[in-house]
Amino acid sequence: MAETVGRVARGLRKIPQYRPPQEERPKAPSERSEGQKKKRRKKIKYNFFALGAGMDLPLFVFLIVLLAIGLVMMFSASYAHCYYYYGDSYYFTIRQAGFAAAGLVLMLLISTVDYHQLHKWAYPIFGIAVLLLLIVLVLGKLLKGITPLVRPKNDVYRWINLGIEFQPTEIAKFAVVLLFAHMISLRASKMKTFRYGFAPFMGILALLALLIAPEPHLSATIIVCVIGVVMMFIGGSSPKWLFLVGGIGAAALGAVLLFSGKFDYALDRIYGWLDPFHPPEGVDTWQTTQSLYAIGSGGLLGVGLGQSRQKYLYLPEPQNDFIFAIICEELGFVGALVIIILFSLLIWRGVYVSIHAKDKFGMMLGLGITFQVGIQAVLNICVVTNTVPNTGISLPFFSYGGTSLVMLLAEMGVLLNVSRHSNIEKV
Amino acid sequence: MAKGNSERMWNKAMGVTVLLIFLGFGAVVVNLFRWQILRGEELKAAALDQSLHSTTLTAMRGTIYDSSGVKVLAKSASVWTVVLEPEYIHEDEALRRKISSGLAEILEMDEATIYEKTGQAGSYFTYLKRRVESDVKEKVVAFLDENGIESGVRLIDDYKRYYPYGTVASTILGFVGSDGQGLSGLELQYDKELQGTAGRMISAKNALSTDMPFEYEQLIGAQNGYNLILTVDETVQSILEKYLEQGIEQFKVANGAVAIMMDVKTGGILGLAVKGDYDPNDPFTVYDETERKKIELLPEKEQEQAYSDALNKQWRNKAVSDTYYPGSVFKMCVSAMGLEEGIITDNFSFTCTGNMPVEGVTGGIDCWKHAGHGQESFHDGLCNSCNPFFIRVGELLGPSTFAKYREAFGFTTQTGIDLPGESWSIYHDEEDLGPAELATESFGQNFSITPIHMITACASIANGGYLVQPHVVDRIVDEDGNIIKKADTGYRRQVISEETSQKICSVLYDNATSGTASGGYVMGYRVCGKTGTSEKIEKYNEDKRTKENPQMEYIASYCGFAPAEAPRYALLVFFDEPQGEENGGLTGGNAVAGPIFSSMMEELLPYLGIEAQYTDAEYDTLDLTAPYTVGLTLKEAYAQLGQMGLDYYVIGDESEDSIQVTEQIPQAGENVPKGGKVVLYTSGYEEKDVLVEVPDFTGMDLANASYLALLNNVQVSANGAGATEGGSAKLQSITPGTMVKPGTVVTITFVENINTETYVSLE
Repeated sequence: MAETVGRVARGLRKIPQYRPPQEERPKAPSERSEGQKKKRRKKIKYNFFALGAGMDLPLFVFLIVLLAIGLVMMFSASYAHCYYYYGDSYYFTIRQAGFAAAGLVLMLLISTVDYHQLHKWAYPIFGIAVLLLLIVLVLGKLLKGITPLVRPKNDVYRWINLGIEFQPTEIAKFAVVLLFAHMISLRASKMKTFRYGFAPFMGILALLALLIAPEPHLSATIIVCVIGVVMMFIGGSSPKWLFLVGGIGAAALGAVLLFSGKFDYALDRIYGWLDPFHPPEGVDTWQTTQSLYAIGSGGLLGVGLGQSRQKYLYLPEPQNDFIFAIICEELGFVGALVIIILFSLLIWRGVYVSIHAKDKFGMMLGLGITFQVGIQAVLNICVVTNTVPNTGISLPFFSYGGTSLVMLLAEMGVLLNVSRHSNIEKV
Repeated sequence: MAKGNSERMWNKAMGVTVLLIFLGFGAVVVNLFRWQILRGEELKAAALDQSLHSTTLTAMRGTIYDSSGVKVLAKSASVWTVVLEPEYIHEDEALRRKISSGLAEILEMDEATIYEKTGQAGSYFTYLKRRVESDVKEKVVAFLDENGIESGVRLIDDYKRYYPYGTVASTILGFVGSDGQGLSGLELQYDKELQGTAGRMISAKNALSTDMPFEYEQLIGAQNGYNLILTVDETVQSILEKYLEQGIEQFKVANGAVAIMMDVKTGGILGLAVKGDYDPNDPFTVYDETERKKIELLPEKEQEQAYSDALNKQWRNKAVSDTYYPGSVFKMCVSAMGLEEGIITDNFSFTCTGNMPVEGVTGGIDCWKHAGHGQESFHDGLCNSCNPFFIRVGELLGPSTFAKYREAFGFTTQTGIDLPGESWSIYHDEEDLGPAELATESFGQNFSITPIHMITACASIANGGYLVQPHVVDRIVDEDGNIIKKADTGYRRQVISEETSQKICSVLYDNATSGTASGGYVMGYRVCGKTGTSEKIEKYNEDKRTKENPQMEYIASYCGFAPAEAPRYALLVFFDEPQGEENGGLTGGNAVAGPIFSSMMEELLPYLGIEAQYTDAEYDTLDLTAPYTVGLTLKEAYAQLGQMGLDYYVIGDESEDSIQVTEQIPQAGENVPKGGKVVLYTSGYEEKDVLVEVPDFTGMDLANASYLALLNNVQVSANGAGATEGGSAKLQSITPGTMVKPGTVVTITFVENINTETYVSLE
């Protein structure tokens, strides 16, 4: 125990008291427990930033800073695009700001709701996600978008329109995190087994992959699967199964490519990735090259906020997936580094509050949410810098997309709630 | 177990985090460093390259003035080019319709064509109509404003080149291409000076090529081109061209003609006419009608080639690009050599037997006068244009001296005139100048020079021996009139002494008055001249192989200068291939080029401020100027005419002396021959009843012509030395068959027809 405390407390002035996860606490008097809960809830309600039961302030600050920078950069990046296509430079910015404000309010509200309530929502939310994905798939892919409910964009069906438009995959991501956190927390002792600790999880992931991949939405499939596998791995699933499935999956993918005649195309894509300035014929690397032009133009200190040239319709939709390229151009290497460090801090703090969560459910939930943000951010920046081949992944807090931002902030609310219960020193 | 489990989970979570942050972001940072720091400049350049657009601001091309500095020979004016940007409009069907119908009307184009052009997706630049004038531009702007069309149609500033005098001086001026670049003539030669420096506007453009709101603009203003002020005088040029055309028509000249007038003191070209030429306002039209008809008859495949050949021919400046055998004109140079070297002296004498034995030429070389000229002094030799005489002079000079002078006269290099396409001369090197070559070159055959070479050499003989630099541009000035460059009017070297020059001038004066060059005689002026008839031997030799009955073609030239005492202006007239069988056997320099030379000089010299000084003999034949009698009574008119020694008669009512004259022929101020008459018209006659037909005087001598004129109720004014020397009528000012009023004066040029050339076959 001492060892553990020492580890956790490194660098802190005051060593926090370690409290083992709740489930394992033997025979707590139910009355006292109730009383404690009430007391704690009260605290939470009226002392947002209070020590002990308040939300984690560093996490909140990193998040707010990222969101603020994100909004500013979104404005800068979308300025030209909106000017030319909507006739109003503020078109996206105003909407995004509205969603951000709404999202913040929602986040703070959710952060006051005890995350244990989510146990009972795990299956329903998953069910809703699957249902929505089915709707998109059936109405979109199979029936070619006959209803205005599902409309294609660039020949892909990812959006559903229920008054406001959103991607069901955003819900699916959270649904997986929630469901896996729920399942892992209940099966803590059986996670090593194939039957309880691997097969059901794999089944869920396979189901989602089957629903998402045909949209087609490769990046969302990857993210969902990676989050799922990471949670399984942390949750205690035997790595051997994971490796096995990973191996089988890779082999199957290779075989499909090789025998479906798409191998050459895939190879071309890879050549295009390795040398985007001289792509093979038929491979469009316009977005990547324009992104690299933007990044290169930035140099060490950038061309200055708002001074990007690449956003003038060279880089397609600069406010979306490639917003980071504009950041690099306008703020330079130093600015990009600052953003990356902010994301790292957010991830670190997210992980920190999560592993100190009151119980396994909170821990898994927090880790899931944090890694979801982290993986998306890393993958997005990797794509933008051509570190990995181009696939459409948005940058959390930065990319344009109202519902996705609200969804993200809601998840952050859950994470903040986890932090309220987390056994860490509050500042 | 539980604790261990948690601990493992922490470890794993931390592992994933570390992996994510350090590996994921680490790779990203490495890549960022690579792209931003290592390859930053390179990528930045590439990005700028795609977003920076440099717009060229065209500079206004300089103006070309004639020597007066006032008359504009070539100038540029603003025009506009209408351009479509179909990408912005191709989706809007109604707009396309509106634009195409509106513009079709304004630009006078086919509506369907425009409509089709508006539909080209992805195109941001399609020419609709180039170079429209300001009124059309105004209409287009109004149309766009009215319909609120902001994009899709654009007007680009441009310049168009105008040549206000049309064909006049076209071969000197040249013309410009569609992008305003000089393609020929002075436009090509002085392209750099005329062009100016185009300005540039560098601006940032977005991916759609419209402007970015950046203060990234850099403007370098256009520097307009310099103006040229020529030595060419538009009046002189027009007169030269007028008479050249007349000569071509008269003597059925097949292959064009050249006339060059040079200021012998400065080398400035006052006029350089080349026919058949073209209109530089529209240089891509074939102006020779017979040629055009010929092309139209060709099979379609050959048409294009024939068309471009014809264009090249009409653009070609024969005066500098074509070489010819100077023929007898060159004898003035050989004379100068002989005099300068002391070979020809006052006592020099030569006997022409009609044939001169020359080593290497079987049977020797004939004189054009087979009977021979007998004993000749230098004066006679030159005036007779005697071939053996000059062969002898050449022999005495020897190849090396001959070659030295030939070089000194500038025949062996280009003259360096500021016109493009100057040809090199073809001659025998000193080592190759064998007896036969020397003999033939001595009378101007067997070596080729350009007309510019010849007139430059002639100028040096006229001006006291100084070889000048022929040039067309007097000075280059900038927009404000500051002189940028002035032509070199100094002489390059003295070829012969002033005494030699004076000596030749006096002989050439006699030659033009009473010698073989009398065709160029100009009444009232002391003109020096020498004829030349060049055989186109190369063409003849070629024709011998391909044609059954080859015809020797000639170049008839006349080179002279005036006034004899102090020569100011040299003039070379040159007709390529006068068709002897069509014009009455006239192929010689004196017969063909002489009268044209005479006519030109007669009109040019007074214009150039050289006053006529008539000899007594000339004064006797000089025409009078008809007095003003219209409005006078018949009695008053009779008195006035009688006083001037003019005859008269009346057409119409002459019953009373007090009847007023309503019209007179020749009209007041017009020439009337001495002892001629003025026909007075009163009322009471039908015009159609009195008209007379002008007879054909061709071939007649003065007496016969006068008699025929009398019979036909017209009057003759004689022109040319041939009138008194027994020449025959070659030119008449009014075409035979024309109906004119009685008393009309027809000017007839009389010419002695002597073909002074001898064919020498050098196998």
